[in-house]
Amino acid sequence: MAASVREKQTAALKRMLNFNAPPLKNTTAEPVWKLLIYDRFGQDIISPLLSVKELRDMGITLHLLLHSDRDPIPDVPAIYFVMPTEENIDRICQDLRNQLYESYYLNFISAISRSKLEDIASAALAANAVNLVTKVFDQYLNFITLEDDMFILCNQNKEHISYHAINKPDIMDTDMDGIMDTIVDSLFCFFVTLGAVPIIRCPRGNAAEMVAVKLDKKLRENLRDARNSLFTGDTMGTGQFSFQRPLFVLADRNLDLATPLHHTWTYQALIHDVLDFHLNRVSVEESQGSEASPAGARPKKKNKKSYDLTAADKFWQKHKGSPFPEVAEAVQEELDTYRAQEDEVKRLKSIMGLEGEDDGAISMLSDNTAKLTSAVSSLPELLEKKRLIDLHTNVATAVLDHIKSRKLDVYFEYEEKLMSKSTLDKSLLDIISDPDAGTAEDKMRLFLIYYITSQQPPSEADLEQYKRALVDAGCDLSPLNYIKQWKAFTKMAATPANYGSSGVKPMGLFSRVMNTGSQFVMEGVKNLVLKQHNLPVTRILDNLMEMKSNPETDDYRYFDPKMLRGSESSIPRNKNPFQEAIVFVVGGGNYIEYQNLVDYTKARQGKRVLYGCSELFNAAQFMKQLSQLGQK
Amino acid sequence: MAADITLLFKASVKTVKTRNKALGLIDSSSREEPSGAKRARARDSFSGRAREVISNISKLKDFLLQHRKEYVNAGSVMCSDVSRMTDSERDQIDQDAQIFMRTCADAIGQLRSEMGKQVVSTQVKNHRAAVLDLIEAYLRGVCKLYSEQRAVRVKRVVDKKRFNVDLWEDNRVDDDLSPEEIQMFEQENQRLVGEMNSLLDEVRQIEGKVVEISRLQEIFSEKVLQQETEIDSIHQLVVGATENVKEGNEDIREAIKNNAGFRVWILFFLVMCSFSLLFLDWYDG
Repeated sequence: MAASVREKQTAALKRMLNFNAPPLKNTTAEPVWKLLIYDRFGQDIISPLLSVKELRDMGITLHLLLHSDRDPIPDVPAIYFVMPTEENIDRICQDLRNQLYESYYLNFISAISRSKLEDIASAALAANAVNLVTKVFDQYLNFITLEDDMFILCNQNKEHISYHAINKPDIMDTDMDGIMDTIVDSLFCFFVTLGAVPIIRCPRGNAAEMVAVKLDKKLRENLRDARNSLFTGDTMGTGQFSFQRPLFVLADRNLDLATPLHHTWTYQALIHDVLDFHLNRVSVEESQGSEASPAGARPKKKNKKSYDLTAADKFWQKHKGSPFPEVAEAVQEELDTYRAQEDEVKRLKSIMGLEGEDDGAISMLSDNTAKLTSAVSSLPELLEKKRLIDLHTNVATAVLDHIKSRKLDVYFEYEEKLMSKSTLDKSLLDIISDPDAGTAEDKMRLFLIYYITSQQPPSEADLEQYKRALVDAGCDLSPLNYIKQWKAFTKMAATPANYGSSGVKPMGLFSRVMNTGSQFVMEGVKNLVLKQHNLPVTRILDNLMEMKSNPETDDYRYFDPKMLRGSESSIPRNKNPFQEAIVFVVGGGNYIEYQNLVDYTKARQGKRVLYGCSELFNAAQFMKQLSQLGQK
Repeated sequence: MAADITLLFKASVKTVKTRNKALGLIDSSSREEPSGAKRARARDSFSGRAREVISNISKLKDFLLQHRKEYVNAGSVMCSDVSRMTDSERDQIDQDAQIFMRTCADAIGQLRSEMGKQVVSTQVKNHRAAVLDLIEAYLRGVCKLYSEQRAVRVKRVVDKKRFNVDLWEDNRVDDDLSPEEIQMFEQENQRLVGEMNSLLDEVRQIEGKVVEISRLQEIFSEKVLQQETEIDSIHQLVVGATENVKEGNEDIREAIKNNAGFRVWILFFLVMCSFSLLFLDWYDG
């Protein structure tokens, strides 16, 4: 698996857009124009991977939603990229009847059933358009890749497979089956695109186990069917030189509820927590200037700007996992380098102006023309750099505003101490009753983490005190009910997760002196340094990958779809440590876990870890789901 | 690793056909293709012409690539004589290529203006605009091929001339002059040769720089042309804005006048009312 998942999915999309033929490398080939028609699922899959400009370069003149009004464009081929649902199939049949386009290339995101295929066939027959349907493909791309090594299942119907849906007390078996089927379908598509059959390990007794059983069955069925197996073929050859198969670890959200509520300090996770960050696109509110508005005038307008954080943005790729103060310094550095380059270009301008006075300037001309040429050719690069610097300055300023107003650094430090069970300098009650430290939500998060990580639950009197303080601060207490139930349940099942030892070193006053020159004056914001520590998910992965024996993971189940007989035993046949692993969290995940896994992988040479989850939520969304569960 | 289920689809079509036949529904295979004629007609107008332009540009590209080796092969002493191109042939190719590129650019411009006049839906308009953009980008790529070729040729010619300095032999032999005069003449010759050489060097440098400047000028003119449309629209907006402001001023002036006039009338009315009251009071009493 030398190519990352993102590259594989992009290559599959590009192939599809080239009429399902491998794209040529010829730079000046004749343009062929086509239309792209997608539904919302297709849109979510394509938008993090291909920009509109790249689509244009591939010859796509128009890209339209399936369920919009579309006019007939009679002599252009149309490429469809949709999910095989009833409404989509009906709309396609309608298009065939209305004869909108010259030829149709139908690509279904996941496998289409035989009966729906016959529906299309009968519509095509009725419209006498059978020859126009040139190709029909099952693309098996039903997942969204956000980073080189991170993917989520879907964005459109995520309430359907959310944590709330899986864990609600009045769930029916049919609902659960439906949810499991959706998850397994997407995971199956993921493995088809990846081109490898994994070895599956999962804990016992929860949703993850159900997913593992179904996935194992589906992979096994597909492998047995030798004629139509998706895992053999010449396109797989390049990926299969690693003889080892990857390890697929299924984890359940219930094993670690504190991490999604945790306040964080790394750039990408902060953006996701504090701003509106969605499918690699962040929306920032900017207020219009700071002049005082005269009495009676309209209030200042805030406009929302959205930015795309893509793989081409080198600053983002380098710093998305760095702690926030580092990011601030790095932006400052980039700004300085940019200004130096800009000054050089401006200097050329003055030299050009001098030249007219001097007769013997022909010798100067030689250097300067070359310099001018290089300056002109580097101008687009410079402009792009400026745009990125502006982007990150705006985003980082917005994040910093939130940090300052909500005192997130205090929360972060306190929670780190709670999770590592080191001594606390301030009492929890002080922070909760402090009126200008954070919103009600922040306080609730802090209290829940305290409740989850404490070894024995606080006494009734203490609990009442805390509850009163929380209600005074304006918090809603229903998540607490749910957490109480959860804690009781997990206590029966296993020992609560240990968050490992970590340390947090504040660098208080030093940062003030250092940052007076910088644009980001972080007075009062402590410059915290993160030390390495492992979250529960990372620890489980470590145990399973390195075949370490640990009471937590010893009774995990073992599935190998390539074995002839499915066995109930959990004894792994393979004794070597794995080189590649895929971690999937059923019930939702977030960027903090992802960052932890990335750090773990960086520390070990030659290992690759991919992170996936059924949905991506930040703490606010998770709290909403918890309060919904707590109200039942 | 997508699965190609086109064959499955065709099989389903057959199944449905047989099922329909068995159920006695209308047999659609005897129906003519009614839309074939309509499709052919629509093809002529826009995409047919667009495809023509593309095929012309491709022909130009093939031609350039075919003759590229010979064209660029300027001044190599050991080339085979059959494929040698004379300079006049090269100039001919240059001229022809430029005329051709200009005609293609004109054709694209024509298509664009025609498209603006036709009344079609927005989607079709956007689609056609994007198609024309694609064709323009293709043309630009081919033009770049040509200009690169040409730059290489010019550079080689310039280099070749530099190496021919040594061929400037001084062949003058004059028996009538005395040995001293011969020596003097020789010295003068050397001096002249030296002077000419330095001039020649400078000229060659300038030539190279001029080629570079012309390339830069191309880039700049492209950028300026791009900005032209935007500047035009800004100009229109500003003109409109000045008009609006003028009208606004007029309206304000009128409003002030009306306001003043209105006040005068009110004052008059009040004075009249009070006088009439006084009169009535005097009349009664």
